[in-house]
Amino acid sequence: MARVLENIGKELLRKNRIATPDFLVVNSVEEARKAADELGYPVVIKALVTAGKRGKAGAVKFAENSKEAERIAKEILSMTVHNFPVERLLVEKKLDISQELYISITFDSSKMMPAVIASSAGGIDIEEIAKVQPEKIIKHHVNMLEGFHLYEAKEIWSDLGLSGGVLQKATAILWRLYQVFEKYDATIIEINPLAITSDGETVAAAILMGVDDDALYRQPGLSDKVEAGSDRAWRPLTALEKEMVAVDAAESYRGTARYTEMEGGDIGFLCGGGGGSLLVYDALLRFGGKPANYTEFGGNPTETKVTGLVKGVLSKPGVKSFFMDANITNNTQTDVVAKGIIRAFQEMNVDPEKFPTLVRLAGVNDGEAKKICLEAGIEYYGDDITMEDAAQLIVDKMRKTYPEEVH
Amino acid sequence: MAILVDKNSKIVIQGITGREASMVTKHALAYGTRILAGVTPGKEGQDVEGVPVYDTLKRACQERELNTSVIYVPPAFAYDAVMEAIGNGIKLIVIITERIPRHDVAKFLLAAEKANCTIVGPNSVGVITPEDRVKLGAIGGDNVERCFVPGEVGVVSRSGGMTAECSWMVKRAGFGVTTSVSIGGDPLIGSPPKTILTMFNEDPKTKAVVMWGEPGTSYEEDVADFIKEGGFTKPLIAYIAGRFVEEMPEGTVFGHAASIIEGGMGKPSDKMAKLTDAGCYVADNFNDIIQILQEVMAH
Repeated sequence: MARVLENIGKELLRKNRIATPDFLVVNSVEEARKAADELGYPVVIKALVTAGKRGKAGAVKFAENSKEAERIAKEILSMTVHNFPVERLLVEKKLDISQELYISITFDSSKMMPAVIASSAGGIDIEEIAKVQPEKIIKHHVNMLEGFHLYEAKEIWSDLGLSGGVLQKATAILWRLYQVFEKYDATIIEINPLAITSDGETVAAAILMGVDDDALYRQPGLSDKVEAGSDRAWRPLTALEKEMVAVDAAESYRGTARYTEMEGGDIGFLCGGGGGSLLVYDALLRFGGKPANYTEFGGNPTETKVTGLVKGVLSKPGVKSFFMDANITNNTQTDVVAKGIIRAFQEMNVDPEKFPTLVRLAGVNDGEAKKICLEAGIEYYGDDITMEDAAQLIVDKMRKTYPEEVH
Repeated sequence: MAILVDKNSKIVIQGITGREASMVTKHALAYGTRILAGVTPGKEGQDVEGVPVYDTLKRACQERELNTSVIYVPPAFAYDAVMEAIGNGIKLIVIITERIPRHDVAKFLLAAEKANCTIVGPNSVGVITPEDRVKLGAIGGDNVERCFVPGEVGVVSRSGGMTAECSWMVKRAGFGVTTSVSIGGDPLIGSPPKTILTMFNEDPKTKAVVMWGEPGTSYEEDVADFIKEGGFTKPLIAYIAGRFVEEMPEGTVFGHAASIIEGGMGKPSDKMAKLTDAGCYVADNFNDIIQILQEVMAH
C-alpha cells in the first residue's frame, strides 16, 4: 500500500465533489501564520505526515489568532509523530461542527470484498464505539461486480438514524466516496470525521487514504505523489534502506528484495523467502541471537542484486557475522545466490573464514551452490539441516567467536 | 485420492511462452504431468516443449478437453486471463502471477464464485499431488522428490517457499503428502486455509494436515472456528510464523477501518491460542512438526 498525504487526498475528494475545509500547506512558522491569517480564524493546524492517529498524538491543534498559530506551528514542527518527523503543516479553516459522522472503505479479507463502514458517532474514539456501542456502526460488504448503489448508501444512513437534509447529503457523500475508492484503486479510505456543520453542510474534515502499489501503473496522476510500500515502514526509510530500495529497483524484473534495519544487533541476516524469513527471525530471537536487520528476497534475483543486498547487510555498523538462511527453493537458482554472496565478500574484503559466516541454501542447482561456498571458505549447509537448526548454529557460532559478549 | 489436482486434471497454461512459464512447463513435463495446451495471443502454431500454443483459450478448448488452468500472464492482463478461463468453463484456476491489482482480484473472485469455479492464488507457487505426479506451477522445481513424496498428509501454506519446506519436514518425519497447496500470500485470495481444509476433510486418503500460518488477516482464526463447528475433524498441525512482529513499534497502524473489521484479529499469539483452544497441535518450534507428526500418525 502507498499512503496518500492528507493534502493530496483532499484534492482528490474535491475533484470528486466531496467538500473539504479550505487548506494550505506550509513548512515554516512564518508561512503558517500567513496561511492562518489568510484563511481566517479559528484555524486547525495539523502535522502533514503519513502516520495515522495524529489527533491522539497531539499533532492536530486549533488556533484562535496569529500568535497562537505561530506558537502551535512551532510546536508541531518540532514534533515527531509515530517516528515521522514533521516537516510540513496543513493549515485549514476550522469548521463549526454540529455532528461528527464516520465513514471508511477497506478490503475485508474474511469476505474477500470491500466493506463500507459507517457510523453516526465519528471522531477520535471510533474504535471504542465499535467495541461498546456496535449498534452505532454499520458494515456493508460491496459486491464489486454489481457496484455500490446510491440507495444502499441511503439505507445505511437511514438505519443509523439520519433523516431530512442531512440524510440526503450524507448519502451522496458516501456514494461518491465509494466512486473515489474504485477510481483510484484505493485499499483504504477513511473520513473521520465527516462533519455536519452548523449550517447543515457535510464536509470531509480529515482523510486517510492508501492506494494499491500494484495498481500505480494505471494511476498516472497518483504515482508521483505517493511513496510505494510506505505502509510497511513505522518510520521514514534510513539512508541504507533507501540504497537497498535502489538495488532492488535497478532490476525490478528479477526478484524482489526488502531490507529493514533493526535497532542494534550483530547478526547480518539475509533470508530467501518471505515466509521463511518470519520463521528464522523468530528462531534467532528465541535462541538468544540479535539480528541487526531484516532482509528477504523472493523470486529469482540476479547475482548483482544479491551482491548489493549482501553488501548492504554487511555495511550496517555493529554487524559481526553473516547469516543466510533460505527455504528449499522451488525456482530460485541457488548457485546465482551463492555467487552473489561471494562477490560481496570479495568487494568488501571480508574473509568468511575469520568473519563468522553461515549459509543454509538448498534447492535449484544447489550442488553448484555448495561447491561455490565451500571453495570460498564459507560454512555451508543444504537440506541436511532444518532452517531452525541453521539459526541455532549461527547463534552458537557467535557465542564461540565473541565469548566476551553476553549473548 | 488427493485434492484439487490428480491424474484427471486436463491442464492448460495461460501465458505459456513467458520465460518462467516455459521453464515450469519443462519441469512439469519431466515430472510426468500432462500439459495439454498453452495460450499466448499471437503465437498460435508455436509450441513450448512440444505443448501446442493457441491464440485464445476458446481455440484451445475446441482442440482439447480442458478443466484446469495455470495463469502466468503479467499483472496488467491477469484479470482478463482469469475471466477468459471462467468464460470458457475452466473449473480450477491456479494463479501464479503476483502483484495483480487488488480491485481486479476482488472482481474475478466474485465471477469465479458465481461460475462455481475454484481459484487458488494469486501469488501461489503452485499445487502438487505426488501420487499422480501432477504439479501446477513452479512448486518442486526440477527436483520434486526432494520435498514432495506420496503419502497421507495434506499441506496448506500461505508462503510459497514454505510449502516446499513444510512438505520436506513431512518427508523428514517419515511420511509423504497427498496434496500440497500454496494458497498465495495476499490478503485477497480464492482459497483461504478453511476452504482447503474442507477439501482435505473430504479426502479419504488424507489422515492429517500441516498448516503454515502468518500474521495478519483472520484466516487462522477462521480455521479455529471451523474446527469448533465440526467442519474439519482430522488432526491439524499448525505453525504460525512471525511472532516478533507483535514487538515491532506501532505506527504501522493506519486508520481505524482495519481494526473495526478485524476486531483485534491477526496477531500470531492470538492465532496460536485460538487454534490450541480448538484442539489443534500448534508447534512452538518449526522443528517440533516432525515429532508431532510422528505421534499423530502413529494413532
